[in-house]
Amino acid sequence: MAAGFKTAEPLEYHRSFLKENCRPDGRELSEFRTTTLNIGSISTADGSALVKMGNTTIICGIKAELANPTAEAPGKGYIVPNVDLPPLCSSRFRPGPPGEQAQAASQFIADVIESSEVIKTEDLCIDRGKLCWVLYCDIMCLDYDGNILDACIIALLAALKNTQLAEVVVNKETSVPEVDLEKRQRLHIHKHPVGASFCVFDDSILIVDPTAEEESLSTAHLTVVTDEEDRLCSVHKPGGTPLSGEKLQECINRATTRQREIHKLIDKVLDSVKTSQ
Amino acid sequence: MMEVSPSTVSFREFGCEQTLLSRPDGSASFVQGDTSVMAGVYGPAEVKVSKEIYDRATLEVLVHPKVGLPGVRERSQEQCVRETCEASLLLSLHPRSSLTLILQVLHDDGSLLSCCLNAACMALMDAGLSMSCLFCGVTCAISTDGEIITDPTAAQEKESRALMTFAIDSKERRVMMSSTKGSFSVHELQQCITVSQKASEKIFQFYRDSVRRRYSKNL
Amino acid sequence: MKDTPLANCERDFLLKAIEEKKRLDGRQTYDYRKIKITFGTDYGCCFVDLGQTRVMAQVSCELVAPKESRPNEGIMFFNLELSPMASPAFEQGRQSELSVKLNRQLERCLRNSKCIDTESLCVVSGEKGWQIRVDVHTLNNDGNLMDAASVAAISALCHFRHPDVGIQGEEITVYSPEERDPIPLSIYHMPISVSFAFFQQGTYLLVDPCEREERVMDGLLMIAMNKHREICSIQSSGGIMLLKEQVMRCSKIASVKVSEITELINRALLNDKTARKAGGRCGFAESMPQERITALKMGQRSVEMTDVSETASSIVQTAEAPLQTVPSPLVPVPGVGQVGEGLCNAWGLEEEEEENEDGESSGGDSVAGVTKMEDEQHKDDKSRKVDVVEILDSDEEEEEVVILYPETTKKAKLMRRGQENDSEDGFEEEVSENEDDMEHIQTKKKQIEKSSDDDNDHAKISVTLMSKNGNSSWFLSPPENQGRPLAENGFRMTPPIKYATSWTDDN
Repeated sequence: MAAGFKTAEPLEYHRSFLKENCRPDGRELSEFRTTTLNIGSISTADGSALVKMGNTTIICGIKAELANPTAEAPGKGYIVPNVDLPPLCSSRFRPGPPGEQAQAASQFIADVIESSEVIKTEDLCIDRGKLCWVLYCDIMCLDYDGNILDACIIALLAALKNTQLAEVVVNKETSVPEVDLEKRQRLHIHKHPVGASFCVFDDSILIVDPTAEEESLSTAHLTVVTDEEDRLCSVHKPGGTPLSGEKLQECINRATTRQREIHKLIDKVLDSVKTSQ
Repeated sequence: MMEVSPSTVSFREFGCEQTLLSRPDGSASFVQGDTSVMAGVYGPAEVKVSKEIYDRATLEVLVHPKVGLPGVRERSQEQCVRETCEASLLLSLHPRSSLTLILQVLHDDGSLLSCCLNAACMALMDAGLSMSCLFCGVTCAISTDGEIITDPTAAQEKESRALMTFAIDSKERRVMMSSTKGSFSVHELQQCITVSQKASEKIFQFYRDSVRRRYSKNL
Repeated sequence: MKDTPLANCERDFLLKAIEEKKRLDGRQTYDYRKIKITFGTDYGCCFVDLGQTRVMAQVSCELVAPKESRPNEGIMFFNLELSPMASPAFEQGRQSELSVKLNRQLERCLRNSKCIDTESLCVVSGEKGWQIRVDVHTLNNDGNLMDAASVAAISALCHFRHPDVGIQGEEITVYSPEERDPIPLSIYHMPISVSFAFFQQGTYLLVDPCEREERVMDGLLMIAMNKHREICSIQSSGGIMLLKEQVMRCSKIASVKVSEITELINRALLNDKTARKAGGRCGFAESMPQERITALKMGQRSVEMTDVSETASSIVQTAEAPLQTVPSPLVPVPGVGQVGEGLCNAWGLEEEEEENEDGESSGGDSVAGVTKMEDEQHKDDKSRKVDVVEILDSDEEEEEVVILYPETTKKAKLMRRGQENDSEDGFEEEVSENEDDMEHIQTKKKQIEKSSDDDNDHAKISVTLMSKNGNSSWFLSPPENQGRPLAENGFRMTPPIKYATSWTDDN
């Protein structure tokens, strides 16, 4: 009966739960799904992490390559994030060039990296104007069940914290870079941005960490990214029903708590990796 | 505590022309200082089967940059404008049909996204589409010494520490869209929202004036 | 979106009018519509209005390596976009026949005519040169896009200035407009395209056809010519036969039109130059008509700024403050951590997991408040379990689900399949050597027995793996494959796509 109701009237189905201040999966309105983090999942990558939030699964691999810096910014390296939503993760995605959602997600991640200054691109410079590191951050969704932006940021941050760059010495005579794979150094992570996503139901009810179904039924999305100093790195709301300043403030406060939770998680997991090595 | 000085909180000269193109069903060009965007709307019209939605109209938004082909940045702008328009348009009045909104950037001198939103709203009004509320875009920049600048130029944008664009609805002056760059404190965000809400009054007044002027004569 | 079709009676009416030497907009046969040329705020930005037809051209430049075949020359690149704004028939990102035709004609008109000195664009021979890119955007299509585009493109090129460069040794410095005045392109001559439409197999001819006339025409002749009466390109399309005299007559008309248009462009350029010199405001914003009823302009306005700070503070303060303490995350094995435990996921494994967590830590008490709703969800999950099991299509009667600790991945199930091929008795696998793990497996077995009592149809067997090496425990792999990275085993990483690349829909 319930299954039939869910299929025929998905919106009514969700409303009947929200009326009782809970959600079909048993969560409260402001509760995140279980977040599981594994660091160092891909041994061939320079840094990697896998994040599961409920069923949403995101893997992030970081590949560092040597490149020439651009003429405009000779003292900087660059970071190239790319979010891939392959047909594997959900039937809503088709093969071929990335769709709007994947492109918007890539742009969002790039904006978060730039705004939060998680890594200073100056740190990636090896030889001014000659040589720098490029970090290709490939973020891939393995299972799509809503709220990929939060999961992407966690995966990216954890993977960046896990990244070790080889030492590069530029030979002065031949000006050929020599890479010492034995000596590796961790990246310096300046900030820890963590996102929290919200959905607005029926123009009034705010729910946190929406699943794919909740996302498709809701009238607005909002993602707030904060760092450990409680500064906001991004308040991203691509349209949808309007929210008042007070409501936004509620979301920001929830995001702050979430930041602490995830920051702690990443640190603890990273510690466990370091001690086990 | 940051103070808001009145000198920086102003709009550049802005203007709008509607019905300037003969082909689209609705068109407008919006000018804010030197930044200008042209918008054209087609529809409601026949929809492609693959994009058909059974209970409402499909809205497509295309942003054309001035140089080169649309890229990832334009996609993200398209998403922001589309979802804002979707929330204000009464799309369920036109099921199984298509609406197309094309935005052509004519000149970018800062506050581009807010100019896109304003042009979009004027074009939708010109096309005579039913909307539940109007919306307008306001861009705020926070300079390095903590001052809020509304409607910044490209140079001011470049120097700023943080940049925020909000879409404000005309009904309750709430935030429909928000897109930010740079990091800022919670207090700064709330200040910018309040400033944008106040600034939106000016734009809505402008909307009203231009519509009044337009329909002042009976043809 | 399809264009509105032209009715037969409209077609007949148009043709009849042409036979009577009349045009819809009251023009004479050889008349051009009103041309308006406006320049934008940037250098190299030009708007052209040809009656209702509207196009915009923007010239931009970039320092690139020159082509190997022409090391001493810069590169010219033309791109004419048929934006869907101009006409509902134009589609985004699709190369239509018309778009190819117009692009080709524009290239022939401006590149192949060698009107621009490309050698002056060379900075360092074989290494660096300017690439000049001309983007023509169509804004409104009311016929004769080609002529409007050619006027816009050449005017924009004449208006354009590229930054000055200095070469010291191997260093190339690009000076900003403040440091050194930018340099205009050197243009030898200005080719302008003039279009002629033919009707009734070439019996009637019209200059500058509008959109309606283009729809009923039989053929089109485009002549690109400069003011010295040199033909730069000539193209006839539509498959009509023209007599030599007709082409001669057209070229004579073209020469008159071209000199008129060239005069107009020069005047517009001069106007813009004097306006810029006078320091006055120029550009698109200034060109907006003031007197039209559809246009309105508003001067600089300041925004009322009282009590902004107070309002903001009150919002921040009245909201509930964020929690200062957060629950500690759970790290069951090195490299894996978890927050917000006690929630089920739809992979059909929540029961075992919850019990396992209870055994692991005392923090699993949030499970206690399982509501009726959740029970319902569980039922759903059970039905899904059956699906999962069916996928495995094992020959054994007892279906299996392999659990990875602490959560499972679909990949593991797939791998599990491969494993079954290797060892037929995939029932009790003791991959782990750790004694603790053995205990886990023991308890698991008990659970299995219990659950198989509950659920006779589908006995579930789970194997939990734990090993000292945190990294490899995440993925279940057969012993001989131990440690093989996921990248090889599971999926292929896509080559990194530079995020700045643009994509077009290919639907």
